[in-house]
Amino acid sequence: MIEAVHLSKSFGTFQAVQDISLNVKEGELVALLGPNGAGKTTTVRMLAAILRPSTGHARIGGYDIVEDAARVRHIVGLLTEFPGLYLRMKPVEYLQFFGELQGVSRADCRQRSEQLLKRFDLWPARDKRLDAYSKGMKQKIALLRAMIHEPQVLYLDEPTTAMDPHSARTVRDAIGELRAARRTVLLTTHNLAEAEDLADRIVIIFGGQIIAQGTRAELTRELLGDPIWEVQVGTRAAGLAAVISAFAPVVAEGTDWLRFRTTDAARVNPQIMSALAERHVPVIKLNDLPRSLEDVYLRIVGELHAERGTWSGTVANKAEDVVEVAS
Amino acid sequence: MTVRSIGIIARREIRDTLSDWRLLLPIVILSLVFPAVLVAATNIFINFIDEPNVVRAIVPFAMLLIGFIPASFSLITALESFVGERERNSLEALLAMPISDGQLYIGKLLSALLPPLGSALVAMGVFALLLRLREPALFAQGLKTEYAVTIVLLLAAKAVLMVAGAVIISSHTSSIRAANLLASFVLLPTAALIQVEALYIVAGLWWQLRIFALALAIIAAVLVRTGMNAFNREEILSREHEQFNLRGIWRTFKTYLRAYHPVEVPASAYVDRFSLNRFYRRELPALLRDFRLPLAVACIAALCGIIGGVYVSQRYQLPWLDGFLDRQIGQTAGQGVRFGFGIFFNNIRVALLSSLLSALSFGLFAFLVPAVAFGQVALVTTTLAGRGTGWVLGNTDSPLAFLVAYILPHGIIELPVAILAAALGIRMGASLMPNQRGVSVGQNMLWALAQFIKVYVLVIVPLYLLAALLEGLVTPIIVRLVY
Repeated sequence: MIEAVHLSKSFGTFQAVQDISLNVKEGELVALLGPNGAGKTTTVRMLAAILRPSTGHARIGGYDIVEDAARVRHIVGLLTEFPGLYLRMKPVEYLQFFGELQGVSRADCRQRSEQLLKRFDLWPARDKRLDAYSKGMKQKIALLRAMIHEPQVLYLDEPTTAMDPHSARTVRDAIGELRAARRTVLLTTHNLAEAEDLADRIVIIFGGQIIAQGTRAELTRELLGDPIWEVQVGTRAAGLAAVISAFAPVVAEGTDWLRFRTTDAARVNPQIMSALAERHVPVIKLNDLPRSLEDVYLRIVGELHAERGTWSGTVANKAEDVVEVAS
Repeated sequence: MTVRSIGIIARREIRDTLSDWRLLLPIVILSLVFPAVLVAATNIFINFIDEPNVVRAIVPFAMLLIGFIPASFSLITALESFVGERERNSLEALLAMPISDGQLYIGKLLSALLPPLGSALVAMGVFALLLRLREPALFAQGLKTEYAVTIVLLLAAKAVLMVAGAVIISSHTSSIRAANLLASFVLLPTAALIQVEALYIVAGLWWQLRIFALALAIIAAVLVRTGMNAFNREEILSREHEQFNLRGIWRTFKTYLRAYHPVEVPASAYVDRFSLNRFYRRELPALLRDFRLPLAVACIAALCGIIGGVYVSQRYQLPWLDGFLDRQIGQTAGQGVRFGFGIFFNNIRVALLSSLLSALSFGLFAFLVPAVAFGQVALVTTTLAGRGTGWVLGNTDSPLAFLVAYILPHGIIELPVAILAAALGIRMGASLMPNQRGVSVGQNMLWALAQFIKVYVLVIVPLYLLAALLEGLVTPIIVRLVY
């Protein structure tokens, strides 16, 4: 549905995006991650046919983003970084305005607005002007604006920013429903848990370039290595490393615990348990260490920041923790 | 879809404007209350002036003023529509719609134009109606239908001009505050236009006013076209990445002073140090070649001045000019180095101010300098020719004697220099217009300013000094010889 090939964009001497190639299948939800200024918004703007690429090309639903820009904008729904609403309008008027610009009839706009407002718990506030809405409500209206013409492709830039947990859950559920309805979604977010929860695939952008992409499992393995297991014993762990390393490489050890890596836990873990039992070592706990998308992200972006000397102290410690675990 | 989209955009923005009491209230007051107050004060005015012809002549101007004040709101509505939307971050959602840049621009243009223009028409209608009821005689004599139509045309052209100018300004700023400051680029020339129109109205030159309205409409159309080029998705979103760096600007400006290269050559590509020899031998001829268009426009200004001077001389009796010529012909206003320096300082001041003000007025002030200079020469020459005593030298009223004695000795240097200075000013004014060479307005303006400064210091000032010394030392001698 989205095919971008070697997309680059420069503004004067500033290179915002460099050589980005991306393929998103129909019904797939891809999360675009990256720090501020990484080039996410410029990439989305090019894919939404708002900006022309300096080099490279892209097709959305088969339409070229330069040659068929209007068609691309018609099949795409864009939730912008800032809601940017017309505050003197009421929600139905607002949605109708954008629906009509997308070529939807006035009657259909009204019907669809009603459905969406009810779905997102905004129907009771339908008679209020948008300037009376809370931040979260405004964000929801901006999301509805992107959905009013039932686009095949949705670009969602920080969809749950400024929302209370309940509203954020509503929006996340709606995004899940869109995916179930085979809509293609490109999600830009700083909320890594959200990306982890929703995305089929993750693309990490840094300095205008894609530096990693894949499923969460692929990225975790690629960047943090094989899964790490921790065995906690009821005695001192000294000397047990030699036992375990016969089955899997030990990566760290403490007074009563050891950590080892294996991709074949079903085969290796019972062997380790048997070996420990033969030596009468009481095993209290055996579990895999959770490694979140945040670990992956901080690892990869942290290293790049460190290379460029732009890493903040607080996060650096966290990154070092991750590196330590991984090593 | 084309017209429908334009209509949808315009309708929403007009509703938005009319639902904002901060805009609505002044519009209503200016449309209904102001005309009523002015008509109510007519009697006081008539008694104060006590000259029926003057009062009659002023009535159409009053109508123009009454219409202009609400129409000038188009500048505010345009800035709100174009920059305001960007500042409130609501523009990107519109840019994501399947509409062209042109459709969006026209929709916004109409929405910025229609409420102020509508209120201007209402205000003028109220004025005309109240005048008809309270002063029927004054209405019948002072406000003929053709006058009203001309005034409406003038107002409409000016409103479009202001909106188009505002869009061009909007394309170079991202905040309402900056746009309001830059609005003087539009207000200065508009204020000048109003004064010119007032003169035409009071003088009763209605046919010329209609030509003037037509000229304004043509300029407005050109500005609309320019605005349409400036208002595009790329330009608007690219501006988010621009940063204001005073030190960088100064560095670039100094680089542009070092050598002459065409505007599209980036400052980073300048490698030469400044060389006076290179400037006079190679760069000045290249600059004059590249400034062909502004030079042509300055020559057109001179031509307009000549035509204007000839026209005024043939169309009107100017007893004050005749009296002046009778007294002064054969005499000199002064002589010597001190007199020459007086002329010199006046000329370099006019060249400097008109060119710098041109940067704020799309070149208007620079255009006026050669027009006025050549217009004066043409006026005197034609007036003398009109006396019918022939062109032979030795005759006091000979236009040829006037040209040879008073103009030629120093004018042969001064007038071309005036055209060169005007061309540099016009080029600075034109740098506000978006161009096809991929050069930003800031870079364009900086480059034009650097060329102006360089040529002003190294060419205009020395030549004006030479011309002024000739005027102070040589011209008086030739005047004595000829007369």
